[in-house]
Amino acid sequence: MSQLIAGYLPLFDLYLLHLGLAFSQYIVLRAGVFSLASAALAGIGAYTAGIFAVKLGAHPLLGLTAGTLTGMLAALFLSIPLARLRGVYQAIATVAFIQIVVSLNIYSEGLTGGAMGLNGIPKSVGTGSLLIAAAAVTYLVWAIERNRLGRAFNAIRQDEAVAASLGISITWHQSLAFAISGALAGLFGGLQAYHSYALDPNQFGFHLLITILSYVILGGRNSVLGPLIGTAILIILPELARPLAANRMVIYGAMLIVVINYLPKGIADTVIQQVRDRRLRLSGGAS
Amino acid sequence: MSVLKLDNVSKHFGGVIAAEKVDIEVPAGQITGLIGPNGAGKTTIVNMITGMLPVTGGTISVAGNDITRAAAHEICRAGLARTFQNIRLLPEASVIDNIMVGFHRHEHSSTLAALLGLGSANRETRDMRDRAMALLDRFGMAGLAAYPAGGLSYGHQRKVEMMRALASDPQFILLDEPIAGMNDVESDALAEIFQGFAGSGKGVLLIEHNVRFVSRLCNRVYVLDGGRLICEGTPEQVLNDPAVITAYLGG
Repeated sequence: MSQLIAGYLPLFDLYLLHLGLAFSQYIVLRAGVFSLASAALAGIGAYTAGIFAVKLGAHPLLGLTAGTLTGMLAALFLSIPLARLRGVYQAIATVAFIQIVVSLNIYSEGLTGGAMGLNGIPKSVGTGSLLIAAAAVTYLVWAIERNRLGRAFNAIRQDEAVAASLGISITWHQSLAFAISGALAGLFGGLQAYHSYALDPNQFGFHLLITILSYVILGGRNSVLGPLIGTAILIILPELARPLAANRMVIYGAMLIVVINYLPKGIADTVIQQVRDRRLRLSGGAS
Repeated sequence: MSVLKLDNVSKHFGGVIAAEKVDIEVPAGQITGLIGPNGAGKTTIVNMITGMLPVTGGTISVAGNDITRAAAHEICRAGLARTFQNIRLLPEASVIDNIMVGFHRHEHSSTLAALLGLGSANRETRDMRDRAMALLDRFGMAGLAAYPAGGLSYGHQRKVEMMRALASDPQFILLDEPIAGMNDVESDALAEIFQGFAGSGKGVLLIEHNVRFVSRLCNRVYVLDGGRLICEGTPEQVLNDPAVITAYLGG
């Protein structure tokens, strides 16, 4: 039994790591920013943490803090030009940003190890630390959802003109969402660096973007349950059908097409809506 | 006495003149009407006041504070609220959530408290929910609080939009064709609500097509045609003005 659990532990670790990245993607979409930058921001956090450990021999907590802060600062910096763009143009700009970060990581060999990657990072993060970080992030997103920030994000996402007419500053709230997204990506990038001994620049490229986006689209974009469920399904599914695991991206792509067509709100949001509608029907029928 | 004042306000879209040297005063405690045929520039005026369109020339002030170039969200904080000609609710959100968004101006819990879900932020949410419920009660819609706003009837959606505007506790309310598409019973009910606004000391700018409705409610009426004010005065004066009759019936 314990052997069985031990066998699935790496998968569980992967789930926790990607859950943080999924929330990073979730929070910007929630605030109406069509940014896909989380993969690059995770790369920035991962490399910062990795460099802190390898080159400076820093304590893991210091490295994680540095990774979180650089992720957040990079996101804030990126939010300045993005505030002038909307919708698909934001998506294009952030995809370009991912390419820039990947290229910079490849070209600045002295610092990042270039195309060979950054190796020999001491492993200091295990399942326990990941679990704490994932729980903290889930709580943070859940808390935001329940109070004035969540309400402002909802209003901006659904209708910017209405939000502004009610006194909600769009730039301020979207920058905040961006900063949170960057900090989350930076933190979980850093955790990944301290979890896996080595970093490869292409690890934080287009591939990761699609992966993270799939978690949120499949799970749902408007409830904290969305990323929790979406990430779980997409991590476990390829493992259930082992031969398919090598073709993970094919499965993700196919699932995305199916979900966008038949469950455009994602699994969690669709179920929540159906439960609510049923309750309203029942209470309406009673009174 | 507090006044919303447009002084010599103009708006040009390229060569098209949407508003030219418009002077309007909306005093607190009264309902002021703005009428005019289709395309006269009524909504343009509202959009300029609320900061959604940049003003080409002139100044707009609230109680002496210049808001001509202020951003839309700052103008709300100066005490202005509006409703939209084509109703704009958050369709995914429930009725009560739609109204709670309107309280944004009065939410003061710190960002950190909101991020960490501290007590102060949660208390604030409960407090806003209670106040939204009280508004729903006043409008006789408490039973619909949990329903998604997008599924309500037209008349109910209008009311939700009005409650949302009211939630920010504005000094001035701009109503852009609030009774369009309503029958007499519904519009009479709204007329009472508007008179209630004015009675409680708020200034109301009522933009309407319906001349009869405006003349019944307003102390003073402005008539816009082709972006220019062609007449102003009491409802009787305006309705008997030859220029107004020409604008509405064609010359």
